[in-house]
Amino acid sequence: MLLIPCPHCGPRNETEFHYGGQAHVAYPDRPDLLSDDEWAEYLFFRDNPKGLFAERWVHGTGCRKWFNVVRDTVTYRIEAVYRLDQPRPELTATTGGAR
Amino acid sequence: MVDQLLSGPAALRRSPLAHLADAFAGADVTGPRGAALREVPFQTMVGLRAAPGSASATALGDVLGAPLPGRVGQTSVSGDHATLWLAPDEWLVVSGAEPEPLVGALAEALGQARGAVVDLSANRTVLELTGPAARAVLEKGCPADLHPRVFGTGSAIATTLGPVPLVLWRSGEECYRLLPRASFADYVARWLLDAMAELGLPEVS
Amino acid sequence: MSTTTTTKPLPEHPDWLWHNPDPKPSYDAIVVGGGGHGIATAYYLAKNHGLTNIAVLEKGWLAGGNMARNTTIIRSNYLLDESAAIYEFALKLWEQLPEELDYDFLFSQRGVLNLAHTLQDVREGTRRVNANKLNGVDADWLSADEVAKVCPIVNVSPDLRYPVLGGTFQPRAGIAKHDHVAWAFARACDRMGVDIIQNCEVTDFVKDGNRVVGVETNRGRILAGRVGLTAAGHSSVLAARAGFRLPVQSHPLQALVSELNEPVHPTVVMSNHVHVYVSQAHKGELVMGAGVDSYTGYGQRGSFHVIEHQMAAAVELFPIFARAHLLRTWGGIVDVSPDASPIIGATPVENLFVNCGWGTGGFKATPSAGWVMAHTMATGEPHPLNVPFTLERFVTGALIDEHGAAAVAH
Repeated sequence: MLLIPCPHCGPRNETEFHYGGQAHVAYPDRPDLLSDDEWAEYLFFRDNPKGLFAERWVHGTGCRKWFNVVRDTVTYRIEAVYRLDQPRPELTATTGGAR
Repeated sequence: MVDQLLSGPAALRRSPLAHLADAFAGADVTGPRGAALREVPFQTMVGLRAAPGSASATALGDVLGAPLPGRVGQTSVSGDHATLWLAPDEWLVVSGAEPEPLVGALAEALGQARGAVVDLSANRTVLELTGPAARAVLEKGCPADLHPRVFGTGSAIATTLGPVPLVLWRSGEECYRLLPRASFADYVARWLLDAMAELGLPEVS
Repeated sequence: MSTTTTTKPLPEHPDWLWHNPDPKPSYDAIVVGGGGHGIATAYYLAKNHGLTNIAVLEKGWLAGGNMARNTTIIRSNYLLDESAAIYEFALKLWEQLPEELDYDFLFSQRGVLNLAHTLQDVREGTRRVNANKLNGVDADWLSADEVAKVCPIVNVSPDLRYPVLGGTFQPRAGIAKHDHVAWAFARACDRMGVDIIQNCEVTDFVKDGNRVVGVETNRGRILAGRVGLTAAGHSSVLAARAGFRLPVQSHPLQALVSELNEPVHPTVVMSNHVHVYVSQAHKGELVMGAGVDSYTGYGQRGSFHVIEHQMAAAVELFPIFARAHLLRTWGGIVDVSPDASPIIGATPVENLFVNCGWGTGGFKATPSAGWVMAHTMATGEPHPLNVPFTLERFVTGALIDEHGAAAVAH
């Protein structure tokens, strides 16, 4: 059971949240101007790293706010939690978890 | 029956758990491992949204008689009105008073500022679970930490009980108010009755 | 009384089913990923195309990834024509393989039931039965009573929250012993001169311009005329090293077994709605699975509430299981594609081919995935069966949406 530190409500079981996939994927400004390849890229292609991953979560049965998380997809350890309008934080090897 | 038909809507209303009143009464357990369950029907509930710390948030607090709570778990109580924190910019007012003039006063306090004042009284109902075993009953199905050191009297959070999302409010030392949506209320009530069933039986060590 | 021994000598049994050679400096072709699909690909490269100067590179131990972790269901009752074709081709191959590979991997064609619990399920099921019949796939629609005759331990009482309203039945579907399948293919490969190289992880690709000419591994550089990726959950990792992206996400998929029980479950039962699939293996354990964990993960593990939900579903469907004991849970890493259909074909890198995106349903396709991937690698062109499944469909929009068939594992 992941324990996810909601930035507004504190740590809660993952069952209170809904997963939102890769973070920082902006909706295209002018989708009508994209080529088929570019549109396919936006719709279907996502990063899928074995390691640190910036992703979105929403606290569905709590405050219902979306937020970003950097999580290690191997250990499932959450290394950072930040707002949707913030850039992905730089994490070094010695960075502790944002618990 | 005819009297009710002639009296108007207020007398005709039926709360979501009226049909379980007898079941609640029958499930009462007294004593040191006791608990009791009842519905607190027809509470006024108002959904509030406003920018935290703004003038409109202050004005809403003035109407309610206490500032809006500022962080997870906090509630503000003044007279009939209790305000529960749901999110940084969202609150739920639960009151024994009639919806009017409260809702109107809150809407006026918000004015044209960004936010919302919505009468949500029909959206949820209120279950009250009391007694020394109340917390133990809840802990069977609530993943949140309900220990008194983090969930003291007056605390309220949005969480789940079994599969049902609801607001859980510790309104008294051994008194919890649960606010599920009306359509889930029957399930939550039966879940609680089932969870209470063992209390009346000899404890197995 | 004779003094000579009266016991029969034991049949000759090799110490090993395959050799463990060191990698050669180069091969005609390399298959990256030594699971079911990788080993089957190598087998058909050798058998169908005469390519024996090839190697399978496995970063761990042979078939220790998803091939060790699936719930062994074999069926071909998919809705869409393109899917039915490739899964049914697999099923026909399965039917020959024990004899062809001379290895009894306990392929048991005990049928599969897909239960219907709502009117929509009934509509979906009857439609799928008709589509299957049109595609030459064996399929029948069963009423609730007929379901009970096929599988007496299913609760077909109408008093349930989600009562069984009927189901589809594919008689030729079934299960097999997954490890033995891998070993059967591996032995056959080894006998044809294929190098199976374990503990060999591809860390980079050697390219000449945009053409792959080999791989870098933790055991040195290996050149190859062509390279095929059959690495399931690790497909994106390899693609990233080769310089392109795939439209897949790797999720944990958990499964479990019970302790050993007397045989009570005669078939395979799947329920999309009361979310679980379960069979009983040869030695008596119940084998169960359901949906992926929601987040992406390479940890080969997931959260326990997912296991609790599938056990609750199983007890709801099969009251007799209420006293069964959970013995062990585990997880694999499944590469899920946007349309729940595989991706088999060329990549943006010349001479580099990929077979991935099978998500939660790769085991049943082991033989046909190997067959068509071998064809694609050997000829440079997709086999007719994987033409619809190339990467291009995500640009053209010709998706093959099988979430209905695969929906249990969501």
